[in-house]
Amino acid sequence: MTVLEVKNLTHTYSGNTPFINDAVSRVSFSAEKGEIIGIIGHTGSGKSTLVQHLNGLLKPTEGEVFVDGENIWDNPKEIRKIRSKVGLVFQYPEYQLFEETVYADIAFGPKNMGLAGDELKKRVLDTCRLIGVKDEYLEKSPFDLSGGEKRRVAIAGVMAMKPEVIVFDEPTAGLDPAGRESVMKIIHDYRQAVGATVIIISHSMEDMALLADKLLVMNKGSLEMFDTVENVFLNGDRLREIGLNVPIVTRVFYELKAAGIPVPDNVFTVSRAVEVLKGIKAGERGA
Amino acid sequence: MDSIISVRNVTYEYKEEETVYAAVKDLSLEIERGSFTVILGHNGSGKSTLAKMLNGLNKPTSGDVLVDGINTKEESTEVEVKRKVGMVFQNPDNQIIASIVEEDVAFGPENLGLDPAEIRRRVDDALKAVDMYDFRESTPHRLSGGQKQRIAIAGIMAMEPECLVLDEPTAMLDPKGRAEIISTLHRLNSEKGITVVLITHYMEEAENADRVIVMNDGKIIADDVPKVIFSDVKTLKSVGLDVPQTAELLYRLKENGFSVDTHALSVKEAAAEIIKALRSEE
Amino acid sequence: MLKDITFGQYYESRSLIHRTDPRLKMVLLIALIVFIFLAKNTFSMALAVLFVLSVMAVSKVPVKLYLKNMKAILPVLIFTGIINLFYGEGETLISFWKLEITTGGIYRAVFMMVRITLLIFLSSALTYTTTPNDLTDAIESLLSPLRFVGLKSAVHTLAMMMTIALRFIPTLIEEAEKIMNAQKARGADLENGSLRERVKALIPILIPLLISSVRRAYELAEAMECRCYNGGEGRTRMKQMHIRPRDFAVLAVCAAVCGGIITLNILF
Repeated sequence: MTVLEVKNLTHTYSGNTPFINDAVSRVSFSAEKGEIIGIIGHTGSGKSTLVQHLNGLLKPTEGEVFVDGENIWDNPKEIRKIRSKVGLVFQYPEYQLFEETVYADIAFGPKNMGLAGDELKKRVLDTCRLIGVKDEYLEKSPFDLSGGEKRRVAIAGVMAMKPEVIVFDEPTAGLDPAGRESVMKIIHDYRQAVGATVIIISHSMEDMALLADKLLVMNKGSLEMFDTVENVFLNGDRLREIGLNVPIVTRVFYELKAAGIPVPDNVFTVSRAVEVLKGIKAGERGA
Repeated sequence: MDSIISVRNVTYEYKEEETVYAAVKDLSLEIERGSFTVILGHNGSGKSTLAKMLNGLNKPTSGDVLVDGINTKEESTEVEVKRKVGMVFQNPDNQIIASIVEEDVAFGPENLGLDPAEIRRRVDDALKAVDMYDFRESTPHRLSGGQKQRIAIAGIMAMEPECLVLDEPTAMLDPKGRAEIISTLHRLNSEKGITVVLITHYMEEAENADRVIVMNDGKIIADDVPKVIFSDVKTLKSVGLDVPQTAELLYRLKENGFSVDTHALSVKEAAAEIIKALRSEE
Repeated sequence: MLKDITFGQYYESRSLIHRTDPRLKMVLLIALIVFIFLAKNTFSMALAVLFVLSVMAVSKVPVKLYLKNMKAILPVLIFTGIINLFYGEGETLISFWKLEITTGGIYRAVFMMVRITLLIFLSSALTYTTTPNDLTDAIESLLSPLRFVGLKSAVHTLAMMMTIALRFIPTLIEEAEKIMNAQKARGADLENGSLRERVKALIPILIPLLISSVRRAYELAEAMECRCYNGGEGRTRMKQMHIRPRDFAVLAVCAAVCGGIITLNILF
């Protein structure tokens, strides 16, 4: 089932702004329920502009965005309703925390949607339970938490709105491996529990290979590729041309192939690499 | 060893709600003049606290830090220490003071009270050294993260320090910016003989260093050349560090009975190890 | 929306006006504004208009940019014009309610609007041709006589604060915009509601902005300490301001224009 569809989306920034123009031109793609889509592209390729259209923060200059089959700009007055259907977690989301307690901060989104009383309370507590925000944190000030915990609370603030599509702009930026793992886990848990579609902007090809079903490659504001992870990473030469690359392990396999070892082209994760090499080794021993 | 910085039995304590925590615990360390040292550690391992002690920004609770023989506790020589050991931080936006690149780079030498012509020379040299001379009249906030961080490095270089300490300078940058910074640092080290101490949690940035120090819980738990450090994937993972995919792959192959040398780091080296291991089976 | 505000609007070029000493430019700006307001007849005003247009041409800054600044004060301009319409003598052209528009009123309104326009163009010419840092240095230099009354460090501190403010305004605007978008993504309604509700809706933006500014200030202070900053004492500057021959030429032209305005005022 298609939950999100973008048709011919074009966005041009008007005027002489001093900021880097991050325009988007004629992008079309669609996302199915429960899918994980990775967006890759170097800085300034239009990724951030693109995702801000998905929940109506930006209005397309041309083209349409459909959520559950409805054009989100059919009724501009109701645009805020879209924000609870398509959640957007910005880069370094912990910088948007503002309430006195963790509970109040997580409740901000659902409250804006009109939830109140027991329903609101249940929503906040359910979200916390789902992604592992401990009960004793709820009455603490969010500013007393560690960096990784702050990020978890900030993400919970968006998840508490229970969006069917949730978009993350580099959710693990600036975190250490433990922090990264825990953010990846809550994204996974949320998707499992809600059946949501997940869209992630990332610079890490290695993470994308592990996580994503499909990849959307942006280059200079245009859609370069939109395909399965395998089909995108098979185009290593083109990716390099536009300043991207394939996972490191895949690069090791390019070298192996060049040296005449019969390895397949579609090795993108360490686990798969180990399996393939074990197979080759066993085969050689057998021969 | 000719040390530019000597850290002797240093402990650093801070107080939070009546509890005293030690961020750095009885740590000793010598940094050799002209070397390229990487200090690895996860968030909260004490690496940033240590970094800020290297130029006297933090003063040790006990123990001493000597910069070129000068104790950082001496108040009269504080400026001297900061001039010898320059420091670059994580967020380039919060280190740039002026709205024009060259005027920002001039800020340090201006504080040293140098002659205008000498300041001009140093500013031009520093901007050329980080390959940003063409941007000298630009506005910093229109530059990319990597470019801004290079401006911050130039701002320190213009004080002509002997040593650069960088506290996670790449944490907020994209892969392109990260690569720019690391190659700039290696160039400054090899061409200008600047001692570099790079603090990071990205292991691959330590690839071409002379020496890698791993910190955990305020202490040094490993100190060796990169290849030796990186082959101990288990320890690195146990202290919450990132391991490059090449190291991870070789480590897992070894676990699976491949006779590979896990010291290999680059893509080419790793591939060569695997090829060797496969061929030896034949 | 916030992005449209440009601050410290320096336009890079190497025109004569760009290269004129910033201190001189500031003093001349003030003097010229006074004389523009002194111009009282069509001839002296025409000279002033001609002069300002030449300054704009010589500055090599696109006219578009000058007009952009005009747009911002257009309401003020129109308001001043309308108010002035009703203050004047002479033949009554239209009268309604208790108000009359007279020929004198029209004359006055046009003059006032031209004066304000020239004032904006001239100040824009200063800000477009002078870097914010040069402006700050010029203020520091022009205020330096205050050191004789024991205010030296105060002058330096003021100049430093201005430098930092100029540097951080674009950064903070960008940040405010990011936070606004983040809160909107959480369903915050910033556009609708009563005044009270709208003020309340600003809290989720102002608090994060304040916290981040404090963090930035703290980090900046550390970075400045690492660059051996110790107040104004013993500090030198890379760029020295020198009065050059061309500055005297600029001064002479401006003096001639001011003299011309007064002469034309007297003659006609």
